[in-house]
Amino acid sequence: MALSKQDVAGIADYARIALDDEELEEMCRYMNETVQILQPIREYDLEGVEPTFHPIGDLSNVMGEDVVDDSVRALDIDTALANAGAKRDRYFRVPSILGNDGGDR
Amino acid sequence: MLEDWEAVIGLEVHTELTTLETKLFCNCRLSHDDAPNTNVCPVCLGMPGALPVPNRKAIQSIVMAGLATNCQIQKHSMFYRKHYFYPDMSKNFQTTQGPVAFCMYGHLDLEVSGEGAKERPDGVETGTDTVSAHDEANPVVVHKADDGSYTVPIRILRIHMEEDAAKMVHVGGEEGRIASATESLVDYNRCGTPLIELVTEPDLRTPEEARLFMEKLQQTFRTLGISDCSLESGSMRCDGNVSLRRRGTRGLGTKTELKNINSFKSLHDGLEYEIRRQAEVLEEGGVIYQETRHWEPNRKRTIVMRVKETADDYRMMPDPDLAPFDLTDDFIEGCRARIPELPDAKRDRYVSEMGLKRVDAAQIAGDPATAALFEEACSAVEDKVRPTVANVVVNLLPAFKGLTAAQVASVSGLLAADAITFAQAREVLEAVDGTGEDPAKVVDERGMRQSTDAGALEPVVDEVLARCTDQVRQYREGNRKVLGFLVGQCMKASKGAGVKGNPKLFNQLLAARLEQ
Amino acid sequence: MASLDELSCAQIARGVADGSFSATEVARASLDAIDAREGEVQAFLEVSRDLALAAAAETDRRRAAGEPLGPLAGVPVAFKDNMHLVGTRTTCASRMLENYDSKFTATCVQRMLDAGATPVGKTNMDEFAFGSSTESSAFHRTYNPWDTTRVPGGSSGGSAASVASGEVTLALGSDTGGSIRQPASFCGVVGLKPTYGAVSRYGVVAFGSSLDQVGPFGRSVEDVALAMCALTAGGRDPYDSTSQDCSVDFLEHLEDPIEGATVGVIPSLMEAEGLTDEVRHAIEAAERALEDQGARIVEVELPNMASSISAYYVIAPCEAFSNLARFDGVRYGYQEPGCATLAEQTALSRAHGFGEEAKRRQMLGAYLLASGVYDQYYYPAQQVRTLITQDYARAYEACDVILMPASPRTAFRFGEISDPTQMYLSDMYTISNNIAGNGGVSVPLGLGEDSGLPVSAQLQGPAFSDRRLLRFARAIERAFDARGKVAPAFAGKGGEL
Repeated sequence: MALSKQDVAGIADYARIALDDEELEEMCRYMNETVQILQPIREYDLEGVEPTFHPIGDLSNVMGEDVVDDSVRALDIDTALANAGAKRDRYFRVPSILGNDGGDR
Repeated sequence: MLEDWEAVIGLEVHTELTTLETKLFCNCRLSHDDAPNTNVCPVCLGMPGALPVPNRKAIQSIVMAGLATNCQIQKHSMFYRKHYFYPDMSKNFQTTQGPVAFCMYGHLDLEVSGEGAKERPDGVETGTDTVSAHDEANPVVVHKADDGSYTVPIRILRIHMEEDAAKMVHVGGEEGRIASATESLVDYNRCGTPLIELVTEPDLRTPEEARLFMEKLQQTFRTLGISDCSLESGSMRCDGNVSLRRRGTRGLGTKTELKNINSFKSLHDGLEYEIRRQAEVLEEGGVIYQETRHWEPNRKRTIVMRVKETADDYRMMPDPDLAPFDLTDDFIEGCRARIPELPDAKRDRYVSEMGLKRVDAAQIAGDPATAALFEEACSAVEDKVRPTVANVVVNLLPAFKGLTAAQVASVSGLLAADAITFAQAREVLEAVDGTGEDPAKVVDERGMRQSTDAGALEPVVDEVLARCTDQVRQYREGNRKVLGFLVGQCMKASKGAGVKGNPKLFNQLLAARLEQ
Repeated sequence: MASLDELSCAQIARGVADGSFSATEVARASLDAIDAREGEVQAFLEVSRDLALAAAAETDRRRAAGEPLGPLAGVPVAFKDNMHLVGTRTTCASRMLENYDSKFTATCVQRMLDAGATPVGKTNMDEFAFGSSTESSAFHRTYNPWDTTRVPGGSSGGSAASVASGEVTLALGSDTGGSIRQPASFCGVVGLKPTYGAVSRYGVVAFGSSLDQVGPFGRSVEDVALAMCALTAGGRDPYDSTSQDCSVDFLEHLEDPIEGATVGVIPSLMEAEGLTDEVRHAIEAAERALEDQGARIVEVELPNMASSISAYYVIAPCEAFSNLARFDGVRYGYQEPGCATLAEQTALSRAHGFGEEAKRRQMLGAYLLASGVYDQYYYPAQQVRTLITQDYARAYEACDVILMPASPRTAFRFGEISDPTQMYLSDMYTISNNIAGNGGVSVPLGLGEDSGLPVSAQLQGPAFSDRRLLRFARAIERAFDARGKVAPAFAGKGGEL
């Protein structure tokens, strides 16, 4: 069940990566080819095998303390906004949200 | 029409852990009122390379919340990433929990009485009715009393931990609405605030039950000290899922999700509206669409926000940056030890040990600050004065801003001794509110103290009885109402006699004499 | 007169401490060498001249004031450009971050600075570390110092080349599927990927969070060991939930003999398709060299290793998609001008900010995480990861370390491998170690008999045995006399002290 161009367009839409028609073709070819490399994963009988999401052995319950560290890591407003492409006053600015599907979650 | 339909309601309640010092995954100050983007750091701004570290106190808080709502604490759980592209989440994913939440399968018991109880005509007449179950061994049962009041456990599916989103300000449109905005501004102060999301099973059947559930949850979380739980400010937020089914059937109808609920009244009224709307649609043979609806409190209606055609695909995956949790018994017991006496237990104790009326006891026990003041005041008075303290706390305290326990104790003592009337108590408290002054002193300064010395009042009674022979006769012929007139005469006469009258005592003295 | 080319880290630190030369002189020598060599190598995306001189001046001031000096005092070090250092840009070799100013300093960078190192600049890489040749950098190629018609490997190609060309003495890289060990091998330097969690990832732009690990490049095992001392000093980083305390003295047992130790070899790996004869022969020579020093060679098997590439190309793209979702042009990064709506701005900023490979990986990840697909690939890949980890654990019951190639071949020419999936297969010897989270080190074996290009052995070890790995690497280094060699075409160009 290969991925169709339409499938890939749907994924691109979700991943917020604009692709033109030629790029879609190319991406579609790439994805189908790469998915082939992944097939061995599907040939395993993995009944009863626990997944390893974290290669950290028994490490668990890692927590930090509820202590303000303003002086260490907090960023002043100029630093916080310094890399932003658009800002207004003390805010990050984004263009109009509606008129698209990027709206309410 | 409504009698033919049964509403099935579930709630999703988000509570910010406002009493913490810092955010969930970084050490930024928790404060939403500062200038935009004041409390931000590389972590909560989602800067590349930044990594999250969970706040221990946040984890303790959610475990406390779970224990207090009878949940099973899940020792093993993980944080997940929930992906969606929207600038209110600085990483374009929200860190939340997956299929296993810290707390699963709990319940809260609701006591529903009075008018509100009449909203549930669901076949539970008297006795016990099994409604539904998490598991066969622990079915949900409704206990209904002869007076129509009933107790129902509302099951909680889960409580999980997640981070709150940033605040968006929509500019250029009307009323700051997103629809006509030309641009939006993002303030990340709130981004990363620890949030616990509680999801109930669809066990609620009436808007009143939903309201009571939220009230109980608010009382419980406030007592735990994990949040200020303000619906108005949004530190506690609630969405309602509602569907209807024909009374007597067990299936579930298509549900709508109700949003923009920022008061208990909105919750009740919004649900009531939505139930009526759905019933009308269904009665006319229409179809309910799975959609999100926005409650407009001013217009008293819900409007469509968004139709959900397909389930959203959030590409959930375990967060590789956060170690899994394997909570130890020590950790969980440590959380249990931090849980103070909860409202139900407190209420029962006030009833059994202090002789309070159940309804008064519940009201006092529901608010931790009130309960603390009540108990402190009680410790300063004799045992027999405690019901009077409760009376003051329930009926007078809410009207004042800054009364101390000592003031409440003092005024209760005066009332219990009949030294002042209830109306005078209110007057005195107004005078001392916020000053810390002793009400007894004000009473004396203003010469309000009634005589409690029967010996001093007897001569006045003698004089009035001697003067008002007609009324005395009428009383003895069976017209008990004239007693009030005689008390009034005594009060008037007191002034001439230079005594502080005391209507209650006069009443007793007159009655005693007239019955002779 | 000394040349920076000839000096080890320890010699530099000692020289600075005893006043043979100043840190400023060392910094100038490094900047000199960069001036003389960079035109042909192009290892750097940014040379932080001012930061370097300021740091060196501070080191000199400390010495003058009698304050203690760090173990890396005055050592010129380069950082891969996915590591934040305040005062530099951090571009990840992407248009997306072309103008991104670092707003905090990565823990790994800070620890090098705390040890007295002089930050000389930020090195080129494959965009966001997606690649094995540094060709996917949005800015320019980096040339292999041993043959400038060839790639330096990747993704940490700039770091490897900066050390191999003698521009700096040490460099840091990051390794998600081989991105330290493979370029180290192509450039003939030592490169260590420590155990996952040994070095903090805080402040390093993430690619695959459960696979990424920071590690050092040096021209000798000793230099790498000294860098590891600095990187792990202070124990676990409280800002990285997955970091663990690995602070040991990596120099302490470096010269210990390996007599009586066991070295595992995996016969099937030595017969794998794509492995060139010269690499196989070099590894066999390494095997003999270890045997000569008294080690016992045993055959071990990793039955599920063949599935590593499959598991990796599920896990890594999924984590990459997730980690790179934040680049939407709002808070930082390339922002497409003139967009009417947020969705348009996001999709175009990402389309034009990211290069092809970055887009490919994210698309693959977005697909593999989709509901329904997740259960077919992502979840089983993480289960296979368990099997691979168990394979390693079993193998390490029979041996102390495993010896294998770092790469099936020596450095290839620019453009030689253009098909992305072919490029993926070149990671066959390095990936499984990232899957399991274990440490691995590339150590030079001299020049290949056919290509005349650097060939390296790779040693892999159990988790948290990185010190042991370096001891075995040192044994190989001793036998091959490959220590401290700057690529001959660049040796002696500038860099005089």
